[in-house]
Amino acid sequence: MKLFAWQPLVISSLVLAVLAVAETRPQYGGTLRVSIREAPTSLDPADSREADLLARHNLTLLIFDTLTDIDDAGNVRAALATSWQAAPGNQRWQFRLRRNVKFQDGMLLTPATVASCLRTANPSWRVLPDADSIVIERDAPAPNLPAELTLPRNAIAKRNRDGTITGTGPFHIADWQPGKKLTLAAEENCWRGRPFLDIVEIEMGRNFRDQLVGLELGRTGLVEVTAEQAHRISAQGARLTSSAPIELIALLFVHDSHSPEEKLLRDALAVCVDRASIRSVLLQGTGEPAASILPNWMSGYGFVFPTQPDLQQARRDREQVHTIPVWTVGYDANDSIARLLVERIALNARDVGLSLQPSTSRSTDLRLVRLSIVSTDPWIGLANVATVANLPIGDAGGNSVQDLYRAEQALLATQRLIPLFHLPATYASAKFLRDWSVGADGSWRLADAWLTSEKTNGDKR
Amino acid sequence: MTFRRKLLAVFALTVFLSVATVGWLVSTLSRRAFELADDERTSALVTQFRHEFNRQGEEVSRRMEAIAASEPVARMGLAMNNRAPDSAAYFDAAKSTAENYQLDFLEFVDSQGTIISSAHWPAKFGYPEPAFASLSSMAEKGAFLKQEELQDNAALGLFAVRAIHVGEHPVYVIGGRRLDRDFLSALDLPAGMRVLLYLNHGDHSGSESLINPSRSAETPETNRPADQIASLIEAIRQNNQETTAIVHWSSDRADDELFHAIPLQGTSNASPKPLLGILLVGNSRRSYVELERRIRTTAFLVGGSGILLAILLSSWAAARVTRPVERLAGAAQEVAAGNWNARVEISGNDELAELAESFNHMTRELLTQKERLVQAERVAAWRELARRLAHELKNPLFPLQLTVENLVRARQQGSEQFEEIFRESSATLLAEISNLKTIISRFNEFSRMPRPQLQLVQMNDVIRGVLQLFQAQLESPGRGQISCDLQLDQRLEPIPADPELLHRAISNLVLNAMEAMPEGGRLSLRTRGNKDNICLEVSDTGAGLTAEECNRIFTPYYTSKEHGTGLGLAIVQSVVSDHGGTIRVHSEPGQGTTFVIELPRNPDTLQDGSEKNQAETISSIAAE
Repeated sequence: MKLFAWQPLVISSLVLAVLAVAETRPQYGGTLRVSIREAPTSLDPADSREADLLARHNLTLLIFDTLTDIDDAGNVRAALATSWQAAPGNQRWQFRLRRNVKFQDGMLLTPATVASCLRTANPSWRVLPDADSIVIERDAPAPNLPAELTLPRNAIAKRNRDGTITGTGPFHIADWQPGKKLTLAAEENCWRGRPFLDIVEIEMGRNFRDQLVGLELGRTGLVEVTAEQAHRISAQGARLTSSAPIELIALLFVHDSHSPEEKLLRDALAVCVDRASIRSVLLQGTGEPAASILPNWMSGYGFVFPTQPDLQQARRDREQVHTIPVWTVGYDANDSIARLLVERIALNARDVGLSLQPSTSRSTDLRLVRLSIVSTDPWIGLANVATVANLPIGDAGGNSVQDLYRAEQALLATQRLIPLFHLPATYASAKFLRDWSVGADGSWRLADAWLTSEKTNGDKR
Repeated sequence: MTFRRKLLAVFALTVFLSVATVGWLVSTLSRRAFELADDERTSALVTQFRHEFNRQGEEVSRRMEAIAASEPVARMGLAMNNRAPDSAAYFDAAKSTAENYQLDFLEFVDSQGTIISSAHWPAKFGYPEPAFASLSSMAEKGAFLKQEELQDNAALGLFAVRAIHVGEHPVYVIGGRRLDRDFLSALDLPAGMRVLLYLNHGDHSGSESLINPSRSAETPETNRPADQIASLIEAIRQNNQETTAIVHWSSDRADDELFHAIPLQGTSNASPKPLLGILLVGNSRRSYVELERRIRTTAFLVGGSGILLAILLSSWAAARVTRPVERLAGAAQEVAAGNWNARVEISGNDELAELAESFNHMTRELLTQKERLVQAERVAAWRELARRLAHELKNPLFPLQLTVENLVRARQQGSEQFEEIFRESSATLLAEISNLKTIISRFNEFSRMPRPQLQLVQMNDVIRGVLQLFQAQLESPGRGQISCDLQLDQRLEPIPADPELLHRAISNLVLNAMEAMPEGGRLSLRTRGNKDNICLEVSDTGAGLTAEECNRIFTPYYTSKEHGTGLGLAIVQSVVSDHGGTIRVHSEPGQGTTFVIELPRNPDTLQDGSEKNQAETISSIAAE
């Protein structure tokens, strides 16, 4: 009787132990459905019509590889290029390519292909193929060229005559419906190794509410989460993963200030916004108040820029101006939090005698914008923000923190941009998605992600 | 104006005044009745609005009670009583709650008056509620009016306040419904009435707004009150009292509206209470004006028809009344024209019939008298003629008788002088017989007056010719000296006349004047002319005539002279009449005599007058 009594217990314990091990050990297979709000219409990395948004960055790096990679600390690592070397003056760089890397169509990665691809993305560069390397020559010193090569536009793509495009990334394109849906299949011969996931289906153009509904219904495994949603979702026990603050929310003036009075008013507006209250309430504690373009974790000097409102200073500035114009502030009507942000800023501005009129029109005096810093490299991030905001970015003139500070100060001195907040990229994932992570720059780490057997079997059924 | 027209005017005026008086009375009474109905309708609507206002207020209060009693709000109240309350978690609570309870305004305010969450202005979290001091005292009370500041403007709402006491620090729920187009549209208004709501935002005209539920929300409008209403609104803003006024939207009175303006005041303890808005209850006067117009049009139609009918009836009545009078007048005119046989038809048995009978009797009497007079005159004329003839014939007959008796006596006596006597007697007989023939030829000549042969004749020339003929007699030494005074108008133009007859007539007058002055005197002949006639005056300084003689002097065979035939002046009158002219005599005994002849210039008149006078002359002679 005793034997019969403990034997089932032992057997069941062993079965449970095996199952538990199986649930914690990566396994191949399964389809992961991802929803994003952006809706890119092109997957070509060199397509200049597409903005360098985070979503594009992530999609590109699922299909393509760059010559270099960058870690969360901002260090440039080898990718398709195994090593690189700069000539004195940082104008001529040579990148030695990884050997035996094949495109997803089986063709071998060659220096000529890489050089052609980079020339397409950067027409001003002189890119020359060598035996097992390429040589990039720039007109001006480019000390950050290895970091610049991590940008999505510099991903290596092979453009076929039939219009298709292939890369060397962990997934290849199985189905592409521009702006709607992208289906990626695991690349068996990826030089990094086959990813665990068989299929990744990415639905585009889904608003945040629909994405959350899909996640809660189990239809979607990975969704984007806004800052104001994060707190509530977290309280409900959802799995949230965030990047470092990588997105800048700012007010962007359409035109330069034309008069001293306008400069005073822009100064007043910059110091009257109660960023802390907005972060606490509207952003539900997410992100950081910002008065600088680069987040403090990236630049190290962000704390130098005060974020506390100075209403007295704002009023003093405003009182020096006799005629107060009514500024129209544009915002994205599809952005759930943008309107509240603009209305609150208008309320703060009214306290010091400024007049802001929220509007969804495209023709406004200034706009509330979200600018992706994209890279963990501060120089690349600053340049990207300047490019997207159409701000003049001067000669770096050095590579030190002081040079970076001066460059950022120069951008802010134009008074075109009033930084407000740095927000992280936050994602909510289903419980069946394992080993999924986000880089500091918001990039997806799907190559190591896998699905639990429950989800995998469910998909098979 | 004729008697008939006077009668007609009196009748028509009487009817017109009657109709006008009735129309005015009806219009006045209907206007008063409509004004009374307007007042009653406006009063009913105001009462209805107040009832609706109270009902909405009760509904708001109920919903606020429900919100205050709900579990999420209770949890929020509990959270706000924590040692470190986190209001950020509730910043959007008001919006969802307001949507659930269908409120336009909702705020959660902590015990310090800080807004935790606002549905109508979500960005206002963390700001103090401006009216918290007064609102907190309104907790657990009924609904009240409050002006709520919004991001772009301000709105008027019906608010209620409730407090949530779950700890030491209460949380206040302030919410309400907006007094807007929907609220006004929910009012059940009678046809022709409407309600406008003016939101008083102070003296800044740019922020004025007038809510008109009859206008489509999609219709672009300035929301500025029209100038016609602006004055009424300004009056309310000044005195803060209910006012009624008529607003004229256009020159058409049918577009007028009677507005009853009700000031909507806030709950502030200040005196006077702040004016938050003005409710304008408009009552269209179109129905009244149109009815008034219909009444007026009907009155005009009835009045016009009445007047027309009155004119017709008056015409008939006036004709009926005046026709006998007109007949009498016509008959009288006929009598005046010489038709003494005129008679008036007698109809009826009234005064006019008696008058007509009297008229007929009068004309009969006149005719009888005339006939008697004519007969008497005819007898007198025949007697005069007989006397003249007897007188004229007696003179030649007596010598004839004596001569024949002498001749017979001489023949019987056989006198030797018979032959001489016979010759003398024969000569005497022939002379007297000649004399008789002359007398007979003159009578014959008068009876055979020729018709004038017209041609252009210069009157002055005829006169000169006559005077030249009589010049020798005028200067004859055997009689008294007669001087001739000739005053001829040299501007006289020729007239159509018969020169022979004129010469004969003027000669008769000159001869008559000479005979009237056997002892001498002055003969005057004067001519003058005017537009229609020329005038000839022949005057003497003789013995003159009596009035009786003046009246009869143109009668044929009448003469005042011992040896006259009485035909000279009759011939003159005949000639003048044949020329369409007239002759009259002015004379007094001892003052001489003046004959005045007027002859027409116009040939047509001459022809007509000539023919007429010729006809009269012929008739007269034939009658004689």
